[in-house]
Amino acid sequence: MDGKIIVVTSGKGGVGKTTATASIGAALALEGKKVAVVDMDIGLRNLDVVMGLENRIVFNIVDAVKGRCKLKQAAIKDRRIDNLFLIPASQSDNKNVLDPEEMVRFSSMLRRHFDYVFMDCPAGIERGFENSVAAADEALVICTPEVAAVRDADRVIGLLYARSITPKLVVNRIVPALVERGDMLSHVDMVDVLSVELIGLVEMDDQVVVSTNTGVPLVMQKTSKAGAAFRRIAMRLNGQVDLPIQVPEASGGLFKKFRSKFGLKK
Amino acid sequence: MKTTHPEKTPVRLKGVGNSLCVMLDPMTSADHLRTELEKLFTGLKNEVENARVTIDVGAPEGYDELIDELGRYLKETFKVGSVERARRKKPRSRRIAAESKVDRLRRRDMERSWHDYRTDVLMLTGRVRSGQKVTARKHLLILGDVNPGAEVMAGGDILIMGSLLGTAIAGHPEGNENIILALDFRPTQVQIGSYVAAGLPASPVKVTEFAHVENGNIVVENYLEANPFGRLPWPQAR
Ligand SMILES: Nc1ncnc2c1ncn2[C@@H]1O[C@H](COP(=O)(O)OP(=O)(O)OP(=O)(O)O)[C@@H](O)[C@H]1O
Ligand SMILES: [Mg+2]
Repeated sequence: MDGKIIVVTSGKGGVGKTTATASIGAALALEGKKVAVVDMDIGLRNLDVVMGLENRIVFNIVDAVKGRCKLKQAAIKDRRIDNLFLIPASQSDNKNVLDPEEMVRFSSMLRRHFDYVFMDCPAGIERGFENSVAAADEALVICTPEVAAVRDADRVIGLLYARSITPKLVVNRIVPALVERGDMLSHVDMVDVLSVELIGLVEMDDQVVVSTNTGVPLVMQKTSKAGAAFRRIAMRLNGQVDLPIQVPEASGGLFKKFRSKFGLKK
Repeated sequence: MKTTHPEKTPVRLKGVGNSLCVMLDPMTSADHLRTELEKLFTGLKNEVENARVTIDVGAPEGYDELIDELGRYLKETFKVGSVERARRKKPRSRRIAAESKVDRLRRRDMERSWHDYRTDVLMLTGRVRSGQKVTARKHLLILGDVNPGAEVMAGGDILIMGSLLGTAIAGHPEGNENIILALDFRPTQVQIGSYVAAGLPASPVKVTEFAHVENGNIVVENYLEANPFGRLPWPQAR
């Protein structure tokens, strides 16, 4: 196998990297791909919690990289999805226990075992970021419609280009009603500034929290708009590049219809 | 008039080319002058044949006979083309001459002041992103955008053919004459020389604006309306 390593990063914290990693990873696994999601947030692991796998952790990424266990032992199989594996972070170590060179070596092993490997990058641009992007073939930059998040995403995009990685943008936590009222940055403005390829628009969705608490992957919840958006991102990553990007719309279509009828919609 | 004959020798040559100007002291005897001219012109060899010679006796009038005599001698002996009396500049004609020197300079400025000018412009294409910094020794021209959180700095002017959203520092460290221009001017902060401005109100529509220092303040104006350089009389290297 000659898998792809995709780093999920943002610069700013709390914008949805872990949510995106778990969801896109699950969606690709449901498509039949063999997927590993790797928690690179050493010292602050939480991908395992989001996936409801924390009680199965025996070994972690540091053990696997340092050769203290086999890759198979560190990769925890998901409870519901067959082809999905989690490589958890170590909770007790410090980010500096790993270095980019080790990650490059480890990643070539991951490529042999999986179709897709997602690196859930910690916030910031320090060692944890360096380790996560060291071996990445592609990058997903997660950004929320906030000025600070855009600023950090821009910084990270610059750093990724400097490493010859062309990033793709996911805008997360969009509230369509706010965007329509002009109270939230629109993805158009964000793409204007960031000028990278957009790969998906994800709405703010209560199902995200529900999913974390019940352990049912977001992408398996039929009614979740965020889940559907992550599924489409997964399909685009998996080669369906022509799949159109759906722009989240506020409910209350009547009002919208009126606006477009009178030519007010921009 | 200040003396033009400071040296002992009564004959001096002022210019060599297709026109030779001979300065001589008319108080010296014609014979002596002729000997001196002979030395001088023999030394010039082939350059004198057919040359235009002017004789400057240090005065606008008088000594016509002397000039004629020496002229005939030069034509016969050295086959010079013509011999004339040098026209001394009268005060008024000197002013005209001074003006024509200005004219000459002006024409040179208008037509070719930039010819031998080695300009110092750093021209870049692309987007300067947050956390990135571009520094130019003199002028900086960017075909692209400057994002919020990015910084562009120049010893001279800064021209952004795109959106300026980050920080721009022109005339670093003390060029208060420099400008910052952007097709879409919405900077976080601008600095020109020793002046700083922030929180400039953004124009509601995208217009080309530029910042410059006026009476100790940074002023932002519509570039096409102000047209600051369109008023210069001719193109000048900057
Ligand atoms: N589309 C969404 N709708 C609603 N809530 C969301 C959405 N995406 C993420 N969240 C919530 O935002 C919070 C932060 O998400 P997440 O942990 O995925 O971010 P992160 O970028 O991984 O954070 P960190 O930088 O701390 O690792 C979580 O509580 C998550 O449930
Ligand atoms: Mg996270």
